[in-house]
Amino acid sequence: MKNEIQKKKWVRENLRSYSLLLPNLLLFLVFSVYPVFWTLKYVFFRYGGFASGDPVFVGLDNLIRVFRDALYWKSVKNTFVYAGAKILFTIPLAFLLALFLSRKKKGNAFFQSVIFVPTIMSSAVMGLVFYLLFNVYNGQINQYLLGTGIISQPINWLGKDHAMKTLVITAVWGGVGNYMVYFIAGLQQISEDALESARIDGANRLQTMWYITIPMLGPILKIILMLSITAAFSDMNTVMVLTEGGPTNATMVMALYGYQFFFPVSVGSVVSFQYGYGAAVSTVNAIIAGMVTILYLKLSKKLDEVY
Amino acid sequence: MKSKRFIMESFIYLFIMIMVVFTLYPIIYTVLGSFKSNSELTLGSGFFPEQWRIENYKQAFIQADFTKYTINSILVSVCAMILATVTTSLAGFTFARRDFVGKKLLLSMYVSLMFVALGSVTLYPIYTLLSSMNLHKSPAGLVLALVGGQASNVMLVMGFVKGIPKELDEAAIIDGCSVYGVFFKIILPLIKPILAVVALFSFRSAWNDYITTLIMSISQPNLKTLTVAVVQLKYSANAAAEWNIMLAGASIAIIPILIVYFLCNKQFIGGLTAGAVKG
Repeated sequence: MKNEIQKKKWVRENLRSYSLLLPNLLLFLVFSVYPVFWTLKYVFFRYGGFASGDPVFVGLDNLIRVFRDALYWKSVKNTFVYAGAKILFTIPLAFLLALFLSRKKKGNAFFQSVIFVPTIMSSAVMGLVFYLLFNVYNGQINQYLLGTGIISQPINWLGKDHAMKTLVITAVWGGVGNYMVYFIAGLQQISEDALESARIDGANRLQTMWYITIPMLGPILKIILMLSITAAFSDMNTVMVLTEGGPTNATMVMALYGYQFFFPVSVGSVVSFQYGYGAAVSTVNAIIAGMVTILYLKLSKKLDEVY
Repeated sequence: MKSKRFIMESFIYLFIMIMVVFTLYPIIYTVLGSFKSNSELTLGSGFFPEQWRIENYKQAFIQADFTKYTINSILVSVCAMILATVTTSLAGFTFARRDFVGKKLLLSMYVSLMFVALGSVTLYPIYTLLSSMNLHKSPAGLVLALVGGQASNVMLVMGFVKGIPKELDEAAIIDGCSVYGVFFKIILPLIKPILAVVALFSFRSAWNDYITTLIMSISQPNLKTLTVAVVQLKYSANAAAEWNIMLAGASIAIIPILIVYFLCNKQFIGGLTAGAVKG
């Protein structure tokens, strides 16, 4: 009898829990779990959409094709170049800004808010603005550079030779404020006591920074770098709007490479619908990004041992 | 010694100023450019418009249909914000405080899927699923697609609820509160700060979203939001002659979010670190 009551209570409590969880759980299952399984399934199929008939099982063909696809590996290389350059510029700039702007000084809170502004804006809309700014003949950047005599010929910012640089500039613009805020949070966790005692021991500001601030920032720097790596590998909005991966794939990144088998990159561009192959590309993308993250975590652990 | 310090301070100040100019330049270009004529923009002109042309906005709102897209943007972003906040607060509370069958499995699924980066490809199965439910034609479908699984926000709320002393719940239960009572009367008032963050960030990401909305609006142009509509001006037939309209459109898209930011920039900046560094 008692058991019966306990059982009823147990069922009721579980039902209550699930009633609270359900709205999110449904969203999670439909929009997060289901697409992953869909993608993993279609890695093994050839499928071109309703019009081209039923999906055909092709085993590992799609994955083999990914490894032989020279254009795909070019997009992987581009992604590494893009991510590397973005991180190389963003992180030091963000660190210096955090260091200077976290000092209790008049105006610093205001400057922090200003530097953070790009983070809240649409990267697609700003991609369009940068597209206008960097336009060869009509863009304001070239107008200024020509007007002041710094250059005599307009620079083709979005051409084959410079498109990647322009993309990185745009990405740095959008990213600095974000990482600055992370660094400021890290700096606030460093105890005043440590800094104080270093100062009492006669360390100057540069020494305090080098021997106290930077080592104590270590753990948070690790997180910041990891976040910046994962973000840089999935960046796609700006590329899509600014360069569309071009010219001639000079800025094709791996996220966009997978995308183009499913959807048009720009209005009016033709898609060769290859859902199976696109799924394979995306899966390999996720594996590469995951491997880079793991490699980085291993490497940063090694560094811990050295220090 | 004093002068050395002065020189260093000047360098720091210079560096900050350069970064401020670098940050603000594209935004100021957008806003000022939205009042210029097209030839001023493309052939070069002074910093300020020769004549403040409000017509650009009129043209954007009327000819380019931006009135409709503005309404869409507001509707979709507000709904996404509400849906995200309500569902994640309930789920975060449940994970933090309740024991139930399958909790461990579900939690590990939530955590592991935060690290699966398949990217926008997942939008294809989502789109086909929504269209099989006939939701792809309505703003509701777009809102659902924009909100998505919310795994990281659920974890964020869960972490925050865990920081609240359990004794509060227990006292309320002894006083005769049900689970729902505990949630609405005890927990909800205390997790307002983190919910503000979730709300703000989901509003921002829905307002700024490009790819999801683009895909959902390919066959349903009436679902377009400001962000998508602005970018598509790039591909319009006489794009070269409409830079001023593009910039007016871009201003319409960024000014509301800038206003939201200046009203609650503490939550924006604080929320970012709550999500990233502690999570």
